[in-house]
Amino acid sequence: MLLVKDSMTREIVTLSPDETAGTALALCRERRIRHLPVLEEGRLIGIVSDRDLRSSTSALGDPARATALQEILVEDVMAGDVVAALPDDPIEQAANTMRERRIGCLPVVEDDELVGIITTSDVMDALVYLVGANEPGSRMEIAVPDRPGSLAGAAGVFGMCGINIVSAAMGPTREPADAGKPRERIVVFRVDTIDTAEVVGYLDEAGYPVLWPPKP
Amino acid sequence: MAAQALSGRAVIVHDLALENYGFGGDHPFNPLRVRLALELCEALGLLEDYPLVSPGPATDEDLTTVHTLTYVRMVQKAGRSLSTLSDLLDYGLGTPDNPIFPDMHEACARVVGGVLAACRLVMAGEVDHAMCISGGLHHALRSKASGFCVYNDAGVAISRLKEEHPGIRIVYVDTDAHHGDGVQWMFYSDPDVLTVSMHESGRYLFPGTGGVDEKGRNGGVGYSVNVPLEPFTDDESWISCFEAVVPEVLRAFGPDLILSQNGCDGHILDPLTHLSATTRLYEHVPQRMHDLAHELCSGRWVATGGGGYDIWRVVPRAWTVLWAAVSHQHLPEKVPEDWLSNWGEKSPVELPPLMRDAPEDYPQGPPSAKIAERNLRTIQEVVEKVLPSIQ
Repeated sequence: MLLVKDSMTREIVTLSPDETAGTALALCRERRIRHLPVLEEGRLIGIVSDRDLRSSTSALGDPARATALQEILVEDVMAGDVVAALPDDPIEQAANTMRERRIGCLPVVEDDELVGIITTSDVMDALVYLVGANEPGSRMEIAVPDRPGSLAGAAGVFGMCGINIVSAAMGPTREPADAGKPRERIVVFRVDTIDTAEVVGYLDEAGYPVLWPPKP
Repeated sequence: MAAQALSGRAVIVHDLALENYGFGGDHPFNPLRVRLALELCEALGLLEDYPLVSPGPATDEDLTTVHTLTYVRMVQKAGRSLSTLSDLLDYGLGTPDNPIFPDMHEACARVVGGVLAACRLVMAGEVDHAMCISGGLHHALRSKASGFCVYNDAGVAISRLKEEHPGIRIVYVDTDAHHGDGVQWMFYSDPDVLTVSMHESGRYLFPGTGGVDEKGRNGGVGYSVNVPLEPFTDDESWISCFEAVVPEVLRAFGPDLILSQNGCDGHILDPLTHLSATTRLYEHVPQRMHDLAHELCSGRWVATGGGGYDIWRVVPRAWTVLWAAVSHQHLPEKVPEDWLSNWGEKSPVELPPLMRDAPEDYPQGPPSAKIAERNLRTIQEVVEKVLPSIQ
C-alpha cells in the first residue's frame, strides 16, 4: 500500500517528438489528460503538459492559432529534463517531489522503460483511500501525549467499545494544551459508528481529549 | 391487503410486527419511538378514519434487487445465532451500531415490506399519499449493515417500482440529519432516480459523505443532490436552504413519485447530532412535499420515518405532524392529556405540553447569521454546479 505502483496509471498515452502541438492538444482533450510523456525509440526523452502546449502559441481566439499549432512540434515545447519516479517509491516521496518542484506529474520508469505515470489527482485518490473518506464513518480528532503507547491506548478505547477503526493518521508534535504536560500529537481517526457519545466519554476520561467534532 | 378498508386519499401502513425492528437494551434506535408516535396520533383522533394497513414482509427476491444474496443469508443466519462474530463483522453486523437480535431478518424484511406496500398502493392509484413510519433505513449498503440500518427499504422499493413501472422517474428526498448515503450509492449512476439529501456536514457527522461534489456518476451525473449543512443550523436557515434547492430540483426533474425520508434527528434536542431545528422544520418539510407532489405528480407521495433519537420529546410530535400533512388533517395545538398521563411516568424527561415548539424554548447556539451565511454559500454551489445537469 502507498507505493507509487499502487496508485499510478499504467495505460499511458505517449507522443513522439516530431508530432505537432495541435495533435498533442487534441489528444489531451479527447483523453481528458493533462500530461503526455514523449518517447523516442521507446526511451523517455521528455514530458509535455497541456499548459505548455497552449501557451506555445498566440492566445485563444486568435485566427492564427490553429496554423501555429500545426507548425510547432512537441520537441520544441517539451520539458527535456524529466524527473521520474520508481514504481517502488513511497507515494509520499512522489508527492513531495511534485510539491518541491511545483509539477503536476511524474513519469514512472523501471529499467529505462516507461511503466506508468503518477499525477496529483492519483495522490489525491490515495489520500481519500488512506483516510477512509470513501467509507461510512465518523471523523474524530484526538490529542495524545507524545509518549510510547499513546496511540495504542487511544485505539484501545475504540476496541473496548467494539468500534472498528476505518483509518488512523497521526500528525507532527505540537505544544500541549496544558503547560507542563508532554508535547502532544493529533490523531485523526475515522471510525465505523454513527453514535460516538459513549466512546468520546471514555476517551476524555482516559486522558485522550477529543478535539473534533467540537463540543457545543 | 384489504382494499376496501382504505378510506380517503391517504393511508398509514403499519403492523405491530414492524416494531420488532430494534436493537434492544439502551441502544438509541428504539422501536418505542414508533409506538409513542402512533399512540399520539391516535390520542389526537388522527387515526379515526384511517385503519392501519398491514404489510407482508419483503421477499428474498425483493431484497436482492439491491442487496447481495450472501448478505441476506448472513442476516438470516444472524437472527438465528448461526454465525460467528468474525463472519458477521464482515457484513457490519454484531457491532455496537448494528447488534444482532433474534429473528432480525424477519423484522427487517417487514419494514422493507411496509415501504414497498406503501409505494405500491400509491402507484396503483388506491391512495394519493402513504406513510410507513418504520421505514427510512437509509444507511444500509449493498452488502453491509450501517448506522442502525440493516436492509435499505427505500432502495428496495425504488428498484421494485422501476421493474413494475418501466420508465418511472422517482425522486427521493432525505431530510434526516445524516447523509442518505445508502440510497444515494444504490442509484448513483441512474438518471431516473434523483436523490436529494440535506444533512449535517460530513466533517462533523457520520457517515462523513454527502458533499456537494457527490453529484452522481456516468449517466447519473446531476441526479444526486447534496446539501451539507453547518452544525447548529436552525429552522430559518434550513428552511431557506430547502426552499432554494428542493422545489427547483424537483421541477427540473419531473418525478412520477416522491419518496421522502423524514428523519427528525436534526432537532436541537437530538443527542446524536449538532443541528438546531425545531418542530417548525418538521411541519414545513412535509407540507412542502405534499404541495410539490400535487404540483408535479398527481399527489403521488410516500413518506417514511428515519432517524430521531430524542424518542420522548421530539419523535412522537414530529411524526404526528408528518401524518397530519400526509392525511390532510388539522394539527391540534396541545398534546392530549391521556397520552401525557400514559407516558409521562415512564419518560425520563418532562414531556412537552404543546405540539409545536416555541422558539424561546431552546437556548441560543452560536451566532446564527454566520451559520446561515455559510449555508448560503453551499446553496450557491449546489445551484451552480449540480442543478444545470438535471433534465
